[in-house]
Amino acid sequence: MEPHASSFVSKARTAFHSAAAKAERVLTDFKIDLDSDKQFHDDDFGMQRGDESARSENESKFRNELKHIKWRPPGIGTKQDWQDRINNIRKGRKEVEVTDKVGDVNVGSVPFYDENLYILNVKNDLDAKASEAIPTVEGLTAATKHPIPPSSVLKQLAIAIEAGRQTNSMKDFVASSPAREKAGLSISSVKALVLREKEDKLTSEFSSDEKVVYLINSLFDQEGEFLRRKINSDPEETSISSLPRDIHGAPPESLVVKLAEVIGNFKTLRGMSLFWSRVVDELRKHWSEEKHLLGVPPDDIPDLKSCLLYQQFQVINCCISRKRRHIIAIESLDSMVMEANSNTSDSANYMGRIPTSPLLYARLRTGELVLRLGADCPSGDLTLLETGEPAYSPVTQEGPLLTEDLIKETEEFVLRTGSVGAGCSQLLSDMQAFKAANPGCILEDFVRWYSPPDWMESEGSTEDRDSFYGGESMSSRGQLSLRMQKEGNLWRELWETSKSVPAVKQTPLYDEDLAVEGILDAFEDIQPSELYRQLFVSLLGLGFAIAETMLSGDIDTSKLFNDCKEYIVTTSQSDGFHEKVNELVQMYETVEKMLLNPDKALKMMKHMEESTMTTDEPKRRFSTGEPKHRFKRFSHIFGGKDKLLTPVRKDEVNDEEKQIRHSFSSFFDSKSSLFSKKPPKPGNLYPGEQPLSLERLDSYLDKVQFHPI
Amino acid sequence: MSSSSGQSSGYDLSFKILLIGDSGVGKSSLLVSFISSSVEDLSPTIGVDFKIKTLTVGGKRLKLTIWDTAGQERFRTLNSSYYRKAQGIILVYDVTRRETFTNLSEVWSKEVELYSTNQDCVKILVGNKVDRDTERAVSREEGLALAKDLGCLLLECSAKTRENVEQCFEELALKIMEAPSLLEEGSTAVKRSVLKPKQESQASQNGGCCS
Repeated sequence: MEPHASSFVSKARTAFHSAAAKAERVLTDFKIDLDSDKQFHDDDFGMQRGDESARSENESKFRNELKHIKWRPPGIGTKQDWQDRINNIRKGRKEVEVTDKVGDVNVGSVPFYDENLYILNVKNDLDAKASEAIPTVEGLTAATKHPIPPSSVLKQLAIAIEAGRQTNSMKDFVASSPAREKAGLSISSVKALVLREKEDKLTSEFSSDEKVVYLINSLFDQEGEFLRRKINSDPEETSISSLPRDIHGAPPESLVVKLAEVIGNFKTLRGMSLFWSRVVDELRKHWSEEKHLLGVPPDDIPDLKSCLLYQQFQVINCCISRKRRHIIAIESLDSMVMEANSNTSDSANYMGRIPTSPLLYARLRTGELVLRLGADCPSGDLTLLETGEPAYSPVTQEGPLLTEDLIKETEEFVLRTGSVGAGCSQLLSDMQAFKAANPGCILEDFVRWYSPPDWMESEGSTEDRDSFYGGESMSSRGQLSLRMQKEGNLWRELWETSKSVPAVKQTPLYDEDLAVEGILDAFEDIQPSELYRQLFVSLLGLGFAIAETMLSGDIDTSKLFNDCKEYIVTTSQSDGFHEKVNELVQMYETVEKMLLNPDKALKMMKHMEESTMTTDEPKRRFSTGEPKHRFKRFSHIFGGKDKLLTPVRKDEVNDEEKQIRHSFSSFFDSKSSLFSKKPPKPGNLYPGEQPLSLERLDSYLDKVQFHPI
Repeated sequence: MSSSSGQSSGYDLSFKILLIGDSGVGKSSLLVSFISSSVEDLSPTIGVDFKIKTLTVGGKRLKLTIWDTAGQERFRTLNSSYYRKAQGIILVYDVTRRETFTNLSEVWSKEVELYSTNQDCVKILVGNKVDRDTERAVSREEGLALAKDLGCLLLECSAKTRENVEQCFEELALKIMEAPSLLEEGSTAVKRSVLKPKQESQASQNGGCCS
């Protein structure tokens, strides 16, 4: 008891002396009144005086003062106590007096010092390992010699999914969460500013790191050699392509899969989040420079069977292609109009077209020649009814690029409002383009091009036609269908509203800039669990797609593989995905073992078969309380796996289980984001029964970050 | 659970149905005939439209959200988004126009394969306008052969006379209910809608207003 108490007293004395000395300086500089409320006011006022260097110094002292005030042993905090203490300090009481005061400190406050010291050590450890946390291009390239990415990469993504479920923002992984402040507004404002500066500093340091720059350049390299694996897809292309889409992942070799592999190799959640921010910056750069993303089709509409992230990458690439085409089309039209104008000024007469000119004209009934704008190609044998000129299909605007989230929004909007706006907008746009390309046209011409079933030629007998579907022939040249002639038909109203405007000059039906900005903003605000889930599934799909090819020739292992594959497809499509992440990791590990140690996998399979044939075995396993799975055979797989692996590599299994358990438990037990950066060691977990300690811990962490002792 | 949610929402299952096929085959007439027994002539659909119908099939109260699409080629891309998560798809052709039948296998079944995200979705082949028997260009046997190729049912009907119209939707609903995954989706949709009573009410009203 005596030595223990002595140790506590010693630490307490050191801390108290330091605090007392700083408090003395603060009091001297600011000439603080004894009243604590006025004390805060004076602090704020004092910070605004003096030159910049003095202000900086005052800020430092101010923080010390705040820390000192915050740190109050339970039961000691009344004004009277403060006054007594300050008076004692001013009178320069001897050290023995201070020692007596320390003796009054409650025992409950003493562990606080240990926690502080521990946090300092943890922080130092994190700093020391910072360089190790960033994967290297060389390391990743070497890993591609393995048939499939290591399961540790998938495991890291699984950890991130679990951690991400606790928060809505990636920023929570980058900086400490701000402590709940009950102090004055000015203090909160200052703290917010400091935190923001801290985030910016961390981000810029990370971005300029040599390894990070190299990783980004390799990932977006136009050659596309980075992280390329041999996928022998020739013989079974169909089966290969189906798995990643069945689980809503991303195609093998795509940018999403490579991104998953890179991010999964980071050792810290903070590193993963910072790298994602860096990726988003790079995407913005590609968009502004109109450079396509490699590993994504350059001009495909979103593939709804792939994950949303991949769809959004497709939209970015497609919008780049469209912008390029739009610029070319605008320039082409402008030069055409300019040439037409110069031709007109050169020759006053309208007789005949200039032979060398590619310009297209249409002659009106009045004989006037009008330039066709935005004409694409002749529309078969169609001729305009009133002028006899050939009908041209116009260049039309391209449709919207809808990812699955926007489709859902659109559908809900239509259901809620009954709107048919999108269809009408497109129809109006097409009518205007048709008018520009076919001067002198009428609605009937448009319908013959756009909706052929709604035009009825006059030839043939009309007596047999019923009024319901058809109509009597009134014109020698044919007529619109009865439904198109119907009064109040919206098509005619739109036609009469439409102006002659070529597609490239119209208001865009789909704004590429708006679409891509929306996607990039969504990337910045993406929920961590949503991002990491997609990366997880994509990497899972890659591993299984490769393994499927490699194992297809082996009858023995392919049976086990197909069971695993069926399980992940079903699990990925179900609603309980988050509860099954660990099981999916185990499936992946099983496949990994099949590839690396086929013999052991075969033994495992034989063992499972023996288990399955035994009638008593399943009952006993169920009676032990093992959680039931969707498929009975998978409980065999898990049971067999546990039995087989435990004797062979007991230590490894135990280590893995411990690692996962500690990683997950740390998120539930700790409020501080520092813990999410590195799981605490066993035995050092802080129990939830001491909320006060945690609160002080948060407060202390803020101080530690600002000015290391 | 099911009984409770049924009482609060008024139906047990909710399914999304999609009508596709060439322009002018009678998709909108078929839908209007089913919803309101109307046989009036309809303007060509622009883009997409929808109607909501509740009915009882196999002892279950169903809510069907039926999406009616414009068949013109130009609207295909715009409407491709409505294939997403549809549990049932009705492919319609006009028995008096062979081209509309040919396009089901050459165009529309490919659209389904390309855009449908629901592997288990139930398809049904519908030949419309059988009241014009003297002008028939596609025999029932040909329809059955295509239905077999596509792995689905065939029903011939007439939106004008309302022959077989209700059977089309009821047969489709029964087939959807036979698929476990679709049944689960249908009940999941009901549970979600219970949490949004206002939106549900609005949707119903809008469904009634549209014509």
